[in-house]
Amino acid sequence: MRILGTAALALNRIWATKIRSLLTMLGVVIGVAAIVALTSIVDGASQGINKSLATLGTNQLNITAMAADSLTEQDANALADLDNVSVMFVQAQNQGTIATRESRVNARLVGVSSQYFEAVKPEIALGSYLSSSSFAATSKDVVFGADAANDLGITKEMLGTSVKLNGQDFRLVGVLDDQAGFGTSGRVYVTIDSARKLFSQYPYVSSIVIQANTPEQVDTLQIQADVLLRERYGLGSETTARYTITNQASLIAAVGTITATLGLLLTGIAAISLLVGGIGIMNIMLVSVRERTREIGVRRAIGAKQSNILTQFLIEAIVLSLAGGVVGLILGEIAAFFLAVLGDWVFSIRLDTVLLVLGFSLLVGVVFGVWPARQAAKLEPIDALRFE
Amino acid sequence: MADEVVRLDKVRRDYLVGDQITTALGGVDLVIERGEFVAIVGPSGSGKSTMMNLIGCLDRPSSGSVLIAGDSTNDLSDNKLTELRSRAIGFVFQQFQLLPNTTAIENVMAPLLYQGIGTKAAKKSATQMLTQLGLGDRLNFDRNRLSGGQQQRVAIARALVTSPDIVLADEPTGALDSKTGAAVIELLKELHREGRTIVLITHDLEIAASAPRRVFLRDGLVERDERGVS
Repeated sequence: MRILGTAALALNRIWATKIRSLLTMLGVVIGVAAIVALTSIVDGASQGINKSLATLGTNQLNITAMAADSLTEQDANALADLDNVSVMFVQAQNQGTIATRESRVNARLVGVSSQYFEAVKPEIALGSYLSSSSFAATSKDVVFGADAANDLGITKEMLGTSVKLNGQDFRLVGVLDDQAGFGTSGRVYVTIDSARKLFSQYPYVSSIVIQANTPEQVDTLQIQADVLLRERYGLGSETTARYTITNQASLIAAVGTITATLGLLLTGIAAISLLVGGIGIMNIMLVSVRERTREIGVRRAIGAKQSNILTQFLIEAIVLSLAGGVVGLILGEIAAFFLAVLGDWVFSIRLDTVLLVLGFSLLVGVVFGVWPARQAAKLEPIDALRFE
Repeated sequence: MADEVVRLDKVRRDYLVGDQITTALGGVDLVIERGEFVAIVGPSGSGKSTMMNLIGCLDRPSSGSVLIAGDSTNDLSDNKLTELRSRAIGFVFQQFQLLPNTTAIENVMAPLLYQGIGTKAAKKSATQMLTQLGLGDRLNFDRNRLSGGQQQRVAIARALVTSPDIVLADEPTGALDSKTGAAVIELLKELHREGRTIVLITHDLEIAASAPRRVFLRDGLVERDERGVS
């Protein structure tokens, strides 16, 4: 009998026992749907993280002070004089309170130097960044992060009006649109000079950011910066307690590694449920072989070879598993779509995921179908015919 | 020399039941020629099912030789034995044994498909055969919508469609009422008149009487081989 005829037989049988077939498929359906949805979550999450990191620039080094008096503005100026440094800015930050006439909340107050806004380019929702006139020594302007603005109920009309930071009057000039950012949206930004009056002791800063001209120069610059700071503080090569240098590119790579591991873990868990689904198929196929022993005997008597019986049962298992895979894929993609809408990331159907899960469910069908099919093919015709 | 379709020479068939050897056939000689209508008769335990399995190429003898349409079954592999069975034997079983979830025509097509014949040709032959047996208007009926007699005629069509050397009928009337049973026997007689070789396995002496030759088995041996109208 030709393979198509055998396939038709298998489909016929699956159709004749619809409910059972559906229940048999369920394990694979759930397994595949889980793989698809979980892969999509990991994808979406890493998309989001990478997007946030990329806005910070891959040619950037963050040098963070480990204590309030670890790094100074002089360190920053020395770093800015290194070769290949295109941008340098410092930040000094501390917890504080922000208040309008109506309300008052806690926020992180960040003093930044003049190059901060053009280097980071955060999206602006209302008003403007701190301008060069803001950085003139006497001005007291402030820009709110999105969450800080929400907490205080800032509206467009309040731009240009006075808000209080740690009890001092500041003029609100802008609100950032940084809700998708890295927990930065609870911040409020003032000039570094204002920050000194609010909380910080001259000349200390909490972090220094330098940018290399090109991403390729970052690794070298990281070493140069480290050497420079060690020299300034007379540190041996073994101690780093004063500051840490993080490289944006290596951060992206690290996030990549984490999401890949996470993806592997989740896929592993989903693969286990697929395995359980496969065992379910095998179980039902074994029951089916037993129930259909007479039928197998009759088929053998009217001319079916062992190979015909083997193919018939194997195809049945494969069709069950593959159909489960297709249904699971559809459900998984639907789930992924809604998750993407909820999580605000880009939904895409990945060809490699589709091929992977379909290949995997095909494999499950073959692996878990072979044994029952062999049991069926090995039946002696006379024993099968005699079977009650 | 006449055309022998079945030749059994000193055929023994022993089974191991638990740790005991049971002899189902104890050295049987039998020749059936083309075009004969033979009833193999005996009570249960006489060895007639074993005889059917051996003639039907479902089993091989423990000793002695079985030749079906000139081919010895003794040393054939499972595959070769299946090929011989497919070519030489058409089975009609007691309980009809139509395949589940299939229509009349699909049942009759099955042996042809197993022989590797294409679907189109198989469909044509099956339609012809069913029409010949008066089931031309029941082609796409499934098992549950056919009466007992109709099911048995589908089973006979399935046995005949490959033009086998031997039609092997195992208690073909066992599951039918006497009137329908008689009609099936009439059909077998007619097939015999057309020149086909019919081997009828039965415990029922009345049914056996419809065959021109009757081989009586008892305790695994041929007790009597009668010819002519009884």
